[in-house]
Amino acid sequence: MLLLQNARIASENSPVLLESDVLIVEGKIQDIGSKLPIPEGARVIDARGRVLLPGMFDAHVHFRAPGFENKETITTGSEAAINGGITGVVMMPNTRPALDSATTVATVLENAKDRSRIPVYTSGCVTKNREGKELAEIEGMRGLGVKMLTDDGDTTNDPAVLLRAMQYATEFGMFFASHCEVPELAGPRALNEGVMSYRLGIKGSPACAEEIIIDRDIRLARAAGAHVHIQHVSSKLGMETIRWWKSRGDVKVTAEVAPHHLLFTDEHIGDYDTNYKMNPPLRTQADCDALLEGLIAGVFDLIATDHAPHTPFEKAQDFISAPNGITGLDTALVSLHHFFVAPGKFGWDLVVKRYSAEPRRLMSLPVPSIAVGQSADCVLFDTEAETTFTREFMKSKSQNTPFIDQTLKGRVDLVILGTEILLEREEL
Amino acid sequence: MARKDLLDIASLHREEIEFLLDQSTSFKKLFTHSVKKIPALEGKSVLMLFYEASTRTHSSFEVAAKRLSAEVTNFDVAHSSITKGESVRETIETLQAMRTDYIVVRHSHPGLPGMIARQTTASVINAGDGAHEHPTQALLDAFTIREKFPDPRGIKVLIIGDILHSRVARSTSTLLQKLGVEVAYLGPGSLVPKYVPESIRRFTDYEAAMAWAPDVVYLLRVQLERQDVQFFPSVREYHRVYGITNTRLAEIRDRGLYIMHPGPVNRGVELCDAVMDYERCLITNQVENGISIRMAVLDWLTPGGEFPKQESYVARQRTGSALLIP
Ligand SMILES: [Zn+2]
Repeated sequence: MLLLQNARIASENSPVLLESDVLIVEGKIQDIGSKLPIPEGARVIDARGRVLLPGMFDAHVHFRAPGFENKETITTGSEAAINGGITGVVMMPNTRPALDSATTVATVLENAKDRSRIPVYTSGCVTKNREGKELAEIEGMRGLGVKMLTDDGDTTNDPAVLLRAMQYATEFGMFFASHCEVPELAGPRALNEGVMSYRLGIKGSPACAEEIIIDRDIRLARAAGAHVHIQHVSSKLGMETIRWWKSRGDVKVTAEVAPHHLLFTDEHIGDYDTNYKMNPPLRTQADCDALLEGLIAGVFDLIATDHAPHTPFEKAQDFISAPNGITGLDTALVSLHHFFVAPGKFGWDLVVKRYSAEPRRLMSLPVPSIAVGQSADCVLFDTEAETTFTREFMKSKSQNTPFIDQTLKGRVDLVILGTEILLEREEL
Repeated sequence: MARKDLLDIASLHREEIEFLLDQSTSFKKLFTHSVKKIPALEGKSVLMLFYEASTRTHSSFEVAAKRLSAEVTNFDVAHSSITKGESVRETIETLQAMRTDYIVVRHSHPGLPGMIARQTTASVINAGDGAHEHPTQALLDAFTIREKFPDPRGIKVLIIGDILHSRVARSTSTLLQKLGVEVAYLGPGSLVPKYVPESIRRFTDYEAAMAWAPDVVYLLRVQLERQDVQFFPSVREYHRVYGITNTRLAEIRDRGLYIMHPGPVNRGVELCDAVMDYERCLITNQVENGISIRMAVLDWLTPGGEFPKQESYVARQRTGSALLIP
């Protein structure tokens, strides 16, 4: 039994935080109200001033297992998630071997059961070994609960292959998630083409390389009657393309945006800082502004981090040699608070809707909320405290993030899932 | 103000540039008076780390270092096919253990000399990193121009060719602008991007560029080997549209314009053979001046200083307040 006193309850439906006591009994929210009586044997936590949110859900993470366990494992990845107030994730299938069959998917899910304290879901490849040529055995993966098909990390380049996959898999109630980039235009370097790429002397990847595929894949989905989910959108015109297609209403399209694309621009790369090397690349301030506008307007259904760990050794190379990616699970919620909620750019209702509810709806999962009768899946967040992202603080095996050693406002104090307290900061 | 490394032109102050050009003048004078060696760097070691072939820059640095009495070692990278960042890092550890004083590095990856500089106590000189910078080339270009225009403020330099892939274009134009020179680019639309710095005029038409009335025409080497995709239809068409043809040379001679080129020249592409005999062609002056400029640079840098920090935008923003605001 756990009684949280005077918590400010956040919900996706209202920007107003309702101050209340919350009583959790046997993993369920049993009562909500002011000045609830303290049941005998209950642990009481003074939550005054803190916000109580449903647990976040990240629909785009790379846990690197199998194959790249030096970067991340299911254990370290899911602990990083918990550290950041996230209680469920969807893994991307670009592992080694790739998650392109029932066998590989089953192994990962089996491992996740033992090694993760939160539910770990996985997507499956569209094509065998993500090569864009032959369809993966899609139905076998569906049998294991896979809903999302993607060759993330690469675009399924041949539109005929993708169209056939869409026609085939839509019958199984699955949907497609698209990493959008024309490889012939983008080249191998993850840097926006523009003033900065010129100054740094690196072949840039123009925003149109991304925008073309956003449009192409939505058109393909429309033709196939499929649902397409556009991953990690980084450009203004990409956002506007999705907005236009959504306004037509004749194709099912959802989209996600990552915190780093809202926060950083290509200028942050400065002196070839590889922590800012990611794909799609960081673009310009105008793009950041448009993405934020798109998030507030609901063009983006969800926030996802594209948590992409790499070892310090790999990232300590020169910009060209270093791999693409940024970690995000430890830092996502605090950074959203620091840069957006605290300055009043959007409210907690948006965070709950876009980072907890909608990603679960995308995956056809039940959506938790702080309401009587719901099973406990919640995060207590201190808006006044600060978090310093030291290496020791981070639970991800890799710490390739510009937030390293930065102090931001906000702190995840408590994470509860069912009958378990997954995280409790010692300050409580 | 002492500097450990020379990595780019962008971070050089005007006073430092003036100082280097003046020092170079003294070195040049010295060697026309039959002195062949001075003991400035006696007992010091200079390591040449060239991941890309370059006879011209390599030998220029080598001669410069020897004239300053330094010991020159060539690190054999030509035979290692592995030139990726990981293997370079292992090399850096070896170099740091060897306690070399200067490292002259050329690599196809932009930013790689900076990475070496951050991990060694040696003074690192960027001898060309991909399409990023080639600071000693810029200095020798400025030096060559200053020999003809002692006060270069207000003169106009037209740089023609593959701007997109050219580290020379970047470094030289940055440096010339710091000296008050006006710079314009001319080249095919596929090789002169629309997003070059606004302070630089951008032409795609030769006649329009000439109407701008340049004092110096600086031709870039067409990097035929670097064209992973086709940027112009043919070498013949390039020469006709952007090259110095015989007809154009006549006009240049009439106007008394100077011609420069960082070399090596693709004859019949950037320029016709006759340019090499034109009395205002400064290509050999550039080669000659390369030695005294590199001496000035080697003499100026101070090895053993602190490792420079990587400057990210966030680091630069971190001023007092613990909170980071993008
Ligand atoms: Zn991706």
